[in-house]
Amino acid sequence: MSEALAVVETAGTGTPVPAVSGARQFWRRLRAQRAALVAAAVVALLVLVALAAPLLTALEGQDPTTYHPTLIDSARGGVPIGSFGGVSADHWLGVEPQTGRDMFARLVYGARVSLGVALAATVVQIAIGVTVGVAAALGNRWVDQLLSRATDIIVSMPLMIMSLALLAIVPASFPRPVLVTLVIGLIAWGSIAKIVRAQTLSLKGLDYVSAARLSGWGTWRIARRELLPGLAAPVITYAALLVPANISVEAALSFLGVGVKPPTPSWGQMLTAADVWYQAAPQYLLLPAGALFVTVLALTVLGDGVRTALDPRAASRLRVGTGRKDTTGTENATGKTPENAADGAARGAAGSANEKEASA
Amino acid sequence: MRQPSVIARRVAAASVSLVVAAGAAACGPEDNDAKGSGGDSTPHKGGTLTVLNSQPQSDFDPARLYTSGGGNVPSLVFRTLTTRNRENGAAGTKVVPDLATDTGRPNKDATVWTYTLKKGLKYEDGSPITSADIKYGIERSFAPELSGGAPYLRDWLVGAADYQGPYKDKKGLSAIETPDSRTIVFHLNKPEGEFPYLATQTQFTPVPRSKDTGTKYESHPVSSGPYKVVKNENDGEHLVLERNTQWSAATDEERKAYPDRIDVRSGLDSSVINQRLSASQGADAAAVTTDTNLGPAELAKVTGDKQLAARVGTGHFGYTDYLAFNPKVKPFDNPKVRQAVAYAIDRSSVVNAAGGSALAEPATTFLPNQKSFGYTPYDPFPAGKSGNPAKAKELLKQAGYSGGLTITLTHSNSKDFETSPEIATAVQDALKKAGIAVKLQGLEDNDYRDKIHSVKTEPGLFLAHWGADWPSGGPFLAPIFDGRQIVKDGANFNTGQLNDKSVNDEIDAINKLTDLDAAAQRWGALDKKIGDEALVVPLFHPVYKRLYGKDVKNIVISDWTGVLDISQVSVK
Repeated sequence: MSEALAVVETAGTGTPVPAVSGARQFWRRLRAQRAALVAAAVVALLVLVALAAPLLTALEGQDPTTYHPTLIDSARGGVPIGSFGGVSADHWLGVEPQTGRDMFARLVYGARVSLGVALAATVVQIAIGVTVGVAAALGNRWVDQLLSRATDIIVSMPLMIMSLALLAIVPASFPRPVLVTLVIGLIAWGSIAKIVRAQTLSLKGLDYVSAARLSGWGTWRIARRELLPGLAAPVITYAALLVPANISVEAALSFLGVGVKPPTPSWGQMLTAADVWYQAAPQYLLLPAGALFVTVLALTVLGDGVRTALDPRAASRLRVGTGRKDTTGTENATGKTPENAADGAARGAAGSANEKEASA
Repeated sequence: MRQPSVIARRVAAASVSLVVAAGAAACGPEDNDAKGSGGDSTPHKGGTLTVLNSQPQSDFDPARLYTSGGGNVPSLVFRTLTTRNRENGAAGTKVVPDLATDTGRPNKDATVWTYTLKKGLKYEDGSPITSADIKYGIERSFAPELSGGAPYLRDWLVGAADYQGPYKDKKGLSAIETPDSRTIVFHLNKPEGEFPYLATQTQFTPVPRSKDTGTKYESHPVSSGPYKVVKNENDGEHLVLERNTQWSAATDEERKAYPDRIDVRSGLDSSVINQRLSASQGADAAAVTTDTNLGPAELAKVTGDKQLAARVGTGHFGYTDYLAFNPKVKPFDNPKVRQAVAYAIDRSSVVNAAGGSALAEPATTFLPNQKSFGYTPYDPFPAGKSGNPAKAKELLKQAGYSGGLTITLTHSNSKDFETSPEIATAVQDALKKAGIAVKLQGLEDNDYRDKIHSVKTEPGLFLAHWGADWPSGGPFLAPIFDGRQIVKDGANFNTGQLNDKSVNDEIDAINKLTDLDAAAQRWGALDKKIGDEALVVPLFHPVYKRLYGKDVKNIVISDWTGVLDISQVSVK
């Protein structure tokens, strides 16, 4: 709470900040949002855990697939023996009902699938979306019509149903995580293509782009040198929000039994198996659900932070790294920052903190 | 039962039979018969029994129902020539007379069966039940628009193969004679010693010709049993039965019919059913289910609560879950490879995957572990409790796979704890220890069924299960191992594609026996002989646990159905 306040207060000191380069400016603005920083740290930790899964499980002395029949009560449906799902020095988060497989190992290995698939699918979505969006905006009428209608079709297709259909017809020999990545990536690029097309169209009309065109630059060069830097902000922002959405989709697909195949653990798959156990062995459900919740929340908050840091208007309200003195900023420095409170998750925290402080 | 069919036309019946088989799972004698039937010496008569089910009583027409022993709810309305003995446990696998005075009088080679009806039998409108009505009921079941029943009658009755039912073919079936109003004679095209079992199915229910309304008959079938239908909404989703005053207990030794009213509510989610039964509030206190088991997680919760645990019945039903090989697919053409898999199986981890020791019993025989099936214990490839990977490796070496082996296991993606990913993963884990790497091929359930039951697409190794139409070795072994039942085009259940003359001949020989105990023994011996071929690896026999409401008394669960028999319960 005090941290959140501190943001506003440092922001409110009105210290003159020298003009800086785009990237550094972005970092300064991002750093100014504590919630986004915490989220970034959480995301970094999760990625680290996923990468270090073999090390971590080796440290625990377990692996995600070995059955431990002695750790479950077969006569009672296979519920783990011991409290909190059989938590012990050997099994840090207990064991899975019916099999006795180590929950910690399954959770950290599951992170690899969930994060890996989501990040890779986002890359695919961005690549296709940006290409189609820019091409539609720069191409002639026919190209634009064709690509825009194609985008409309993609946007109107229900993601889950299409994924289920595609996953059902592809031969089982195809590696599943790659397949899930491709399916999500190839189906859900419509919105980003639309955003990119719209942004490109507005950039195209700006003087510096016209100037480039008048000086005889080719379309490709203009796109690369003049347009892409301008598209970076919306694309990065959108990407940051796509990642958590993709994690949810992967979890849902695995939940429906068409995601990664057993015994490879994934959070979605763990949720499927665990849903009936919510009363008898709640930790079995809570662990993957909690991991999914924390990851999606962290990524969403981070995404929002990125958006704020890249948005010049929001940044001016942050009054960080804009490189100009702001008189209205000093007014707001009292801590009553209503427009801040209304501006996304990061700001919401700061705003409510202020209110509580005021009422105290 | 669950996959009862042998020929393509039987596939349609499979879905219906599923309902009934699911209905054939249950509640338990050993846990609570003392509690249920003891205490009050005379069960209370009257009240309303609520039945909470997931599957509706759809097509509630005796011609269309596919049941084991006449079903549970259907048998309250439909009486048949014979029926199952309504007693706990093994005694309940006996076939006993119902409308008939005995279980049938065969001629010497069991091709002609004669039945005599009891005196004083009446329909719900007071009119008498005659043998001609039973003949008519059977004839109706041949009408294409009233399909759904078991295929046996078409296969067994003389000249019935192409019969199209009484609406198209007024002459009727000459294979069934009714010399007088109380006598009915069946002529079969081959010896069938188990005909009395078949006569328990609802197709043997009398249907008065004058009241037959064809496909509309299901909305109000004329009752011959202790209850009549007073309401049937949404094709059996909500069925209300009330006492049939014309039914006389003097002619019916089997049905007790204590409650005045039976309210069957279906289409409920299984977790909702178990939740309602455990809460046992209001009308649910006098509620039972005839088709919903406790799952592993629910069992874990129930066993932690003494009051709930006292309201759980345990039932056995003749059923086996197994690994099936297709010997036409390499490397399973090599018996040593099949044996290696059999040795490597860890039955304790498979049992745990199926819900633990309370919900599954490890199986080494294909026949269910019940006397009536002719259960003869054997274990040709002893894997012990948790597998014998050393022996498996040795066999693989002999088969030329000393460097290990990679195989594919096909399974369904349904959450049934029978052919589902949990079981497949447990098998995979066990085989890994024997140096066999298993790739899992999980298919959508319908796709899975189509694939495993077609000779052309049958995978090399897959999870399968089988249940019998009645508690005997015949309907259990013949469809799976009789070489003449291999279906090239259509649904094939002889997945091992075994066509061994000695096996086929033995099946014929046993079918001639009318002494069912003697037949059972020979089925058991045949099972053992086939077991040596390692065409299947029996995994487990499921056990059913069922909750019932706190006001439900007089619990009877037979090994025939494994279900709490609703013709026996009373409610307070």
